[in-house]
Amino acid sequence: MKTAEKFEKTKMENKIPAKDRVIAWPRMGRIDIPLKALLVSLGAKVVIPPANSKEVLELGVRNSIEGICLPYKLNLANYMMALDRGANTLMMFQAPGSCRLGNYTKMAQKTLKSMGYDFDMVIFDMYKSKMKQTLQAFWHVTRCINPWKYYKGFSLGFNKFFAIDTAERLLFYTRPRELNKGDAEKCYEKWLKITDETNSIWQAKRLKKKIIEDFKKIPIDKDKDVPVIYLIGEFFVLLDPYTNQNIEKELGEMGVEVQRQIMFGDWLEHVLKPSIFYRKESHRERSVRYADSYMKRAIGGECIETIGDTVYAAKHGIDGIIHISPFSCMPEIVAQNILPKVSREEDIPVMSLVLDEQTGKAGYITRIEAFVDLINRRRRLKIKNSKHK
Amino acid sequence: MNKNFPSKVGIPRAISYYNNYPFYYGFFKSLGIEVVLSDKTTTKIINEGSKYVVSDTCLPIKVYVGHVVNLLDKGCEYIFVPSIQSTGYKINNCSKIRGLPEIIRNVIDREFVMIEPTLDKTENIGLYDFCEQIANVFDIRDKKIIRAAMKEGFKIYNNFFKMAKSGLSYNDALKNAIEDNIVNQPLDIVKPLSVVIMGHGYNLFDERISLNIIKKLEKMDVKVYTSLNVSREDSLNAIDNIGEIQYWANELELTGTAAYYLNNHKVDGIIALSAFGCGPDSLMVDEMAYHCKENEMPLIHLTIDEHTGEAGFITRLEAFVDMLMRKKRAKMSVKPKSTETSKNDVVVGEEKVLISVAK
Repeated sequence: MKTAEKFEKTKMENKIPAKDRVIAWPRMGRIDIPLKALLVSLGAKVVIPPANSKEVLELGVRNSIEGICLPYKLNLANYMMALDRGANTLMMFQAPGSCRLGNYTKMAQKTLKSMGYDFDMVIFDMYKSKMKQTLQAFWHVTRCINPWKYYKGFSLGFNKFFAIDTAERLLFYTRPRELNKGDAEKCYEKWLKITDETNSIWQAKRLKKKIIEDFKKIPIDKDKDVPVIYLIGEFFVLLDPYTNQNIEKELGEMGVEVQRQIMFGDWLEHVLKPSIFYRKESHRERSVRYADSYMKRAIGGECIETIGDTVYAAKHGIDGIIHISPFSCMPEIVAQNILPKVSREEDIPVMSLVLDEQTGKAGYITRIEAFVDLINRRRRLKIKNSKHK
Repeated sequence: MNKNFPSKVGIPRAISYYNNYPFYYGFFKSLGIEVVLSDKTTTKIINEGSKYVVSDTCLPIKVYVGHVVNLLDKGCEYIFVPSIQSTGYKINNCSKIRGLPEIIRNVIDREFVMIEPTLDKTENIGLYDFCEQIANVFDIRDKKIIRAAMKEGFKIYNNFFKMAKSGLSYNDALKNAIEDNIVNQPLDIVKPLSVVIMGHGYNLFDERISLNIIKKLEKMDVKVYTSLNVSREDSLNAIDNIGEIQYWANELELTGTAAYYLNNHKVDGIIALSAFGCGPDSLMVDEMAYHCKENEMPLIHLTIDEHTGEAGFITRLEAFVDMLMRKKRAKMSVKPKSTETSKNDVVVGEEKVLISVAK
């Protein structure tokens, strides 16, 4: 019990007065846009570290231990860059699944303190505490007591999350079908910028509609035969375009429609909303239902989602699965062991890609190309067979 | 007991066998079920296991799969594969240990029945539920019988730990506990050097995986302490003392044990033994290395996988032991006298003054 109390205390450090706080958090995909909107409307100052790149990764690798997984190395570098740019309060989100992720903050705290940085660490532990704890953490960071500001912040944040998700989904759909190469990408970038600049609730609520309208204007080849691939695997690697070497773009340009099952907005809604308001079957519940004959229990991380999605995809006529995970990720190794059987029994091609800081782009692309070839061949064969009948 | 139900259960000699076998043995015996163990780990078993799983999987899991295959070859139809999810609130095991039944179910394509109880204290599935899940497979539903069997299990388990803590080797303690003997504490032999090995039981006590590290060290005249020599309370306190929090279920075996000996200065060095690609170990060993640096305690990190060569392993061990010996000799040669200690105090005082002036 004693240790538990101590742990609670270390979760929310409180050395720096609220008005001096400059907040930073690790980068993961486009999470910075909605979070910035939320915190700024609560009256906080924020620092956004540079996007993940080779230099960022190098900095992280230099300062972390050898055996730790890739996301930690990037997170640590993000923290260091943010601290160098004037941040003094670091936030971290811990998801309900428990693997090494739960230890990240403890390690980062120790490493950064031994390097001589001075800061407060605030941890958002989302294990079964959800909305109440999240609000408490935001209050702790900003000391904002105005409920209107909370309303504004959260509705801005959520609407921006959904807008980005919509834009991404449309991008995945449009990219393989577009007539002029690069249109969809341009449109996506444009809307990201607009989403970032939007500052009123009324406009934020209309973002989603506008994005859909704008994407509809892009000329596409509607009758094009496009294979569909599900992208599944570890949360961070899926959402961070640098870490997964922009696999979505590569696949899109090869003429494949990508469907990513983990979208940040969906996940956040499921985690934060009290279960009474959440009527739909959540992604996790669906995965548990579909994975039933292969897995009987959740084992942490996104393992059960990976298996559930694969079975779901096979039952819904998806052409193939690409499973990506960082090197030595424990839950995904279990998933990798189970996937061959799922692939065999459900008759769906699956490719596992393991990523680390040494991954070379050329070899990576070759493997993806070979996989897409295989899927196209299978698809042609299927169409041929159905014609014969 | 119903005749349609089996009277034999196979337990693979890997992973939780090394920590909990005395309990399992007493429990099954009391229920009237015969326990069949797989053979001791050999290179053949490791190779057999490696065939079934992907190459990224760590060595202990490969060994586990090998043992399950070995049991199946022996003709066992019921195999005991527990899933120990967490041993306390939010104190989780490694995902691969949590998902052992999932791995076994999906990689081995043979006819057999798996007994897969879950222990998950985060979700309030305690030890009794764990035992009930096992008993239900054999159609034993009487709560009294299950409780009595648990008691029997604990008896052997406690005897085992008591003997092991007093200094008996793992194998002797296990043998005596199962035969229901209690052996008196042997004389504590004083040796010139002593080290503590921090490592999971399934790595350390498996003679093939650990390449018999304990015997090798004892041959070099080194006294070896392991997690068996430290009680649960001591290791919990030790973790608390060095300012860490128990995060992993097997943190007591590693950080707890090492921290206990780090605090009481009973050892000259720490050996960390871990399998390649082990997630929890990568963090725990690093944590310990940090504290060792602060306390000037030598630490060596030995990583093992299925290709580890014995020669290189011995060389590293010998070098480490030599280094410890040299360090100790250097320390012994300048024997502090009673007057010298007071002198030392003065010197420290002067240093402090100097530092404060410099500031």
